[in-house]
Amino acid sequence: MTALLDINKLGKRFPTRHGREPSSWVIKDLSFSVADGEFLTIVGPSGAGKSTLLNIIAQTDTASAGEILLNGTSVTTRDPRALKPGIDRRIGYVTQDDNLLPWRSTLDNVLFALDVQGKLNDESRGRARQLIQAVGLAGFEKYYPHELSGGMRKRTALIRTLVYDPPIILMDEPFAAVDAQTRTQLQADLLRLWDLGRKTIVFVTHDITEAIALGDRALVLSKQPSRIAAEHAIPIPRPRNVKDIFALPGFAETYEKIRADVQ
Amino acid sequence: MSKITAPSPSRAIRWRRHLDHALVFAIIVALWSLATWRFGTYWVSSPWAVAIRFVETIASGELIRHAGYTLAEAAAGTLIGGVPAVLLPLFLRRHPVMTAILDPFMIGGYGAPKLAFAPLFIVWFGIGMESKIALVVSVVFFIVYFATLNGVRALDAKLVQAAQIFGASEHQVARHIVLPGAIPSIFAGFRIAVPYGIAAAVIAELISANRGLGYLVQNGAMNFDTTGVFVAVLMATLLVQAATWLMNAMEAWLLRWRPPVEMMEAGT
Amino acid sequence: MTDVPATMADVGKSATSRKWLVYGGRAVLTVLLLLGWEYGARTLGPLFFAPPLETAQRLWALALSGQMFSDIVATLRVAVAGFVIAGIAGVILPFLLRRSPRATEAVEPAIMFTMGIPKYALAPWLILWFGIGDMPKLVVVALVVFYIVFITTFAGIRCVDRRLISMARVIGASERRISREIIWTSLLPFFFTGLKIAFPRAVSATIVGEFLVSTQGIGRYIEGARQVSNTTGVFAGVVIALVLVINAILNSIERWALRWRPVERDMEL
Repeated sequence: MTALLDINKLGKRFPTRHGREPSSWVIKDLSFSVADGEFLTIVGPSGAGKSTLLNIIAQTDTASAGEILLNGTSVTTRDPRALKPGIDRRIGYVTQDDNLLPWRSTLDNVLFALDVQGKLNDESRGRARQLIQAVGLAGFEKYYPHELSGGMRKRTALIRTLVYDPPIILMDEPFAAVDAQTRTQLQADLLRLWDLGRKTIVFVTHDITEAIALGDRALVLSKQPSRIAAEHAIPIPRPRNVKDIFALPGFAETYEKIRADVQ
Repeated sequence: MSKITAPSPSRAIRWRRHLDHALVFAIIVALWSLATWRFGTYWVSSPWAVAIRFVETIASGELIRHAGYTLAEAAAGTLIGGVPAVLLPLFLRRHPVMTAILDPFMIGGYGAPKLAFAPLFIVWFGIGMESKIALVVSVVFFIVYFATLNGVRALDAKLVQAAQIFGASEHQVARHIVLPGAIPSIFAGFRIAVPYGIAAAVIAELISANRGLGYLVQNGAMNFDTTGVFVAVLMATLLVQAATWLMNAMEAWLLRWRPPVEMMEAGT
Repeated sequence: MTDVPATMADVGKSATSRKWLVYGGRAVLTVLLLLGWEYGARTLGPLFFAPPLETAQRLWALALSGQMFSDIVATLRVAVAGFVIAGIAGVILPFLLRRSPRATEAVEPAIMFTMGIPKYALAPWLILWFGIGDMPKLVVVALVVFYIVFITTFAGIRCVDRRLISMARVIGASERRISREIIWTSLLPFFFTGLKIAFPRAVSATIVGEFLVSTQGIGRYIEGARQVSNTTGVFAGVVIALVLVINAILNSIERWALRWRPVERDMEL
């Protein structure tokens, strides 16, 4: 497997408001790489700069040090105006909030990305319908976001990114705000979709169980300044049954190892 | 519209901002002077002449006297219209049926172009101060009524319930929970209503009066004295600015318990 | 707040009988107002209060003669023209300023100060300039409407959810597309609020302009009637009706444009 995404000695500190003294580093000397088709999970305590890390990779924010290589080419910039969010649609980003457009129906929200990219045709529409079917949203195409449940909104946000097929998808605790049962269902849906296409996914969470259930490999972030504190391969074979993940062999040891590393 | 950048910018940025403001001011004065030069002082009085006349009429007391009339009309109208407009929604909070009955009438009064009725007010109340005050009342009342009503409706029901559990009476709830909670909305209403009220007083004076800033404007226009017109308009604008400043200061004082937030946009 | 349902909902939920209480109360209040009007006319004399029945007859006669119609057209022509011109300018300028925070800050004090100018007071001077045609009224109407639409649009742009913009950029939307789809749609509620506040004032401004100088229009009629007869109230009624009708049209356009919103909630004031 080749490294698709390389994060090299990444650092971030925010500009200060008052004096001239530089603020402390939020992220420092953070390095890791992601292989093509890998499902990588990143676990960290809250306030560990997880969202900041994904914002930098998605280029909605600048890095203060280090560089990011995509397919071996550097895509780093320090100038906020030179940022290219999504790097020409090569990186998809599913954020914590679903950020659905309230004036578009479910179907139109899913088609939004294709629409702005000028890729709206019969084939892409067909794919959108398939995805809507696959996550159980059939029959809700005409509903506005405020008429959907939290779980349905999450599914809509998820397939809105999947439908335009970016090579890498970043996910920032996308299932954090829903109840436990819905979350398990969403995780199962995500794994099923991922099995169909085997995209490269970087999934950030504070939930160790979720990190194990979903990932091929889990990284553990330290507290600020963030760096990689540990790395664990997840020895649970796929396909996995998320609902009974606790009972699967290998889960308990991995959980204990990760828990010890997360401070 | 107010602060768009970070709350405490560096000194260099503050200086640049002052410089930008000075630049915009200079451009406006330059354009104005250009218009004077191009069309002649007969049509567009020069900034310099307006400034001189402004100082002269202030010194002679004439401008202050006329501004005083306008201000008195606007202030009286704001009080007479504003106080019931604040109290009524507080009372109506416990009477939803009454509120619903009044709704279409209030909406009609709010939407009615009151300034167009200035002649009617003059028929009813004469050409003295009373007709101007009545017009200001009609303008201020509806704006403040709906602003207060919105503030009362947006109130956090949990706060009211908590106070009732402590044993607060209906009167105490209104006084200690509802009124303070509605203050931002009430002031938002007054910030819109007061400049409009001052304009209403000026308009009524334009149509029929022998004193006040509106009279000065009309008088200046009849004598082809554009300097006089501009000075009167400038004074009216300064009244509006002073009233806005006063209301902002009062609100800031009443809401001193609140964490500092961006100033609301000055109005809609 | 131009909609009754907000209040009706609270009431109607508990019992339908309450709904009838509300309708009954409104009917009673209407009758009381008419009676008060009639009483005022009898005690104070028709010079102060034209009696309601006589007013209705006069209204009917004027409507039949066609004079009312031509006056309404004359007033609306100016009000609508000024409204459209200033409405467009008041929307475009905030979009241009959005691109440059520095320019926004630079012009802010100038805009706040000039907003305080009582625009109507400029009318006598504008009449000196442009004569007694439509032009001075048009300028006043445009100035009045411009500031209202500008301020509400600007407030709307500032309230746009930054996260939606960021999401659209990641997905690959162009800046133009973001302006059109996300910013414009998000500020539509503000825009409609601005229009609804501005329209009655545009009509007011036209009528005030007609008081001062005019050869036709509702304002000239009211001003003419003031000195000679008792028909002031007639046209006052016409004006209210006019504004209410156009407000209702704006409301239904708004409801259609904002049909995606959870509840029809008014955010004005």
